[in-house]
Amino acid sequence: MAPPFRVADLTGIQVRPARLWTHSLSWILFVMGIALYVHFSIVRHRENPEDRVIPSATQLVQGLKASVLEPAEEDDPLDPGASLFQQVRHSMIWKDTASSARRFFIALLLLVPAMLIGLHMAVFPYAGAFFLRFVLFFDKIVALSLLPILFIVFGIDEWSKIMLMVIGVAPTLMLDAYNIAGGVPREQVVKAFTLKSTNLDVAYRIVLKQVLPQLINSVRLNLKPLALFLFAGEMIASTDGLAYRIAIMRRHMGMDIIIPYLLWVALLLFSLDALLRFTNRRLHPWYQPR
Amino acid sequence: MVSAALRSVRAPLEEPFEAIAPHSVPQRTEIELRDVSLSYSAGKDGSKTVLSKLNVKVAPGEFVVVLGETGCGKSTLLRMILGQDFPTEGTIEVDGKPVTSIDARCGYVPQKYSLFPDRTVLGNVMYGPENAECRFLARLRPSFFAYRRKLRAEARAYLVRMGLRPQDMDKYPHQLSGGMQQRVAIAQALLMHPPVLLLDEAFSALDPSTRASLQEQLREIWLESKPTVVFVTHNTAEALLLGTRLILLGRHREERAGETNLVLDMQIPASPLPLSLRMKTREFQELLERVKELAYKSSSLCMDEAVADRIVEEGNLA
Repeated sequence: MAPPFRVADLTGIQVRPARLWTHSLSWILFVMGIALYVHFSIVRHRENPEDRVIPSATQLVQGLKASVLEPAEEDDPLDPGASLFQQVRHSMIWKDTASSARRFFIALLLLVPAMLIGLHMAVFPYAGAFFLRFVLFFDKIVALSLLPILFIVFGIDEWSKIMLMVIGVAPTLMLDAYNIAGGVPREQVVKAFTLKSTNLDVAYRIVLKQVLPQLINSVRLNLKPLALFLFAGEMIASTDGLAYRIAIMRRHMGMDIIIPYLLWVALLLFSLDALLRFTNRRLHPWYQPR
Repeated sequence: MVSAALRSVRAPLEEPFEAIAPHSVPQRTEIELRDVSLSYSAGKDGSKTVLSKLNVKVAPGEFVVVLGETGCGKSTLLRMILGQDFPTEGTIEVDGKPVTSIDARCGYVPQKYSLFPDRTVLGNVMYGPENAECRFLARLRPSFFAYRRKLRAEARAYLVRMGLRPQDMDKYPHQLSGGMQQRVAIAQALLMHPPVLLLDEAFSALDPSTRASLQEQLREIWLESKPTVVFVTHNTAEALLLGTRLILLGRHREERAGETNLVLDMQIPASPLPLSLRMKTREFQELLERVKELAYKSSSLCMDEAVADRIVEEGNLA
């Protein structure tokens, strides 16, 4: 039986919190954040009932409703009799999410070869010698500083934003893949060769299969940097997208829209991360994270 | 019953994929090391010699055990035979052909990291024969599935023989104990029917009872098909129990510090007794004490040429 809780346990290392404790503690910061928000909102609204810096719950609900059910200002208004589904389909948030998601997933797809290059760098010594120094150097270039060049090369259309994401994240993913694949024990590679594997067998059937869960984890960790570059691109040169909307709303002090957008973006990234984690666990039941 | 199962799965099959495992490899293979030295660059100190002028000839079907203190180059020697490392001087030949890359004629069992963690026990064991017999496109042929069924049966029989239970077959390596993992690793190497089997401290991480049972099994398998075995260990009793020939490596101190030479090369007297009984005999215990003493001298004394010569002489007397 587990020993009873003592206050000293809170700073202990060799302790195992009970399930109730772990659940309660994990929600405390959320509750505190909401409580602080509500407190400051009430204080500001007491001074100025029209305050838009910290919108009240009513303002937030109105903003959310406008985002989810009404088209963007630049779009044509919907028929008054449109169904709920049509309203959502033509809403501001739907349109912006679709635009951002398209850019995001194209960039994610273009990052797959980057990971394969990292794998090849680790497995094939000549590929390593060819790429490593350059990738290490390229990784240190601040991707945002390349934005003007990307705008000149790719124009201000979609590709400049997508390339910003790819160039921003690819070197990190390559180096990550290189380090992860380099961590496969040498014994296994040797063993694979004694079991009549070819070079490609070793690269793809032994090393890649083994490191795939870690590569997916690496992608998970890079979701936020990817979104960061997406937002940077959209805020500078775009006519739609989640970050574009946030930038527009900033000019109008539209915190009632910005906050729901911000939470929506966080929720999307959280869900994508959870989906990848779930997929990883289902596809690789053998994987034992250290 | 197991041997009957093995016999049945080895029965000829329809074309193609006639053979369950690659039998085209020569069954009796010799290994020859001629004047093998290995040095590496040690920065300001110039080059450092690890192995110096080793001359060893392993006859086909011999069970050679390489013994020596930690860091004396036993595993390096094994890696060179395997083709993973290369000597800076001298040549290594397997079956008369110089070793130039990792040799697929060699079965290899390292101390750990031997199994592919993403494959089940059966998947690990079947990986080699599948690779050897059918490349990617051949796997699309219907005959491949029949071949796979037969191979699965042979793999199962091998694993059962190695002491695995039927319910372990679909487990992943992390779900097995260290001893079970090594059993699978040995089966993985043996199912390829390699003419040369290289084991690098394969049992050193196991508890005494698992170790003893694996020693028995290895000895039994060797007696059955007589592959050429090079077994690296630092356990003197294990060396004397398993091998037919013992090679003791010793390191020089002082001016030739770090350099390893062959100190003792002796035939181990054969015995018809099972390993567990053999270990208890007076002859074995005497031999063990003798070799332990020699091993101790080779590792703890300041070994100059005279001492090395004396050890070799004493060893030969043993």
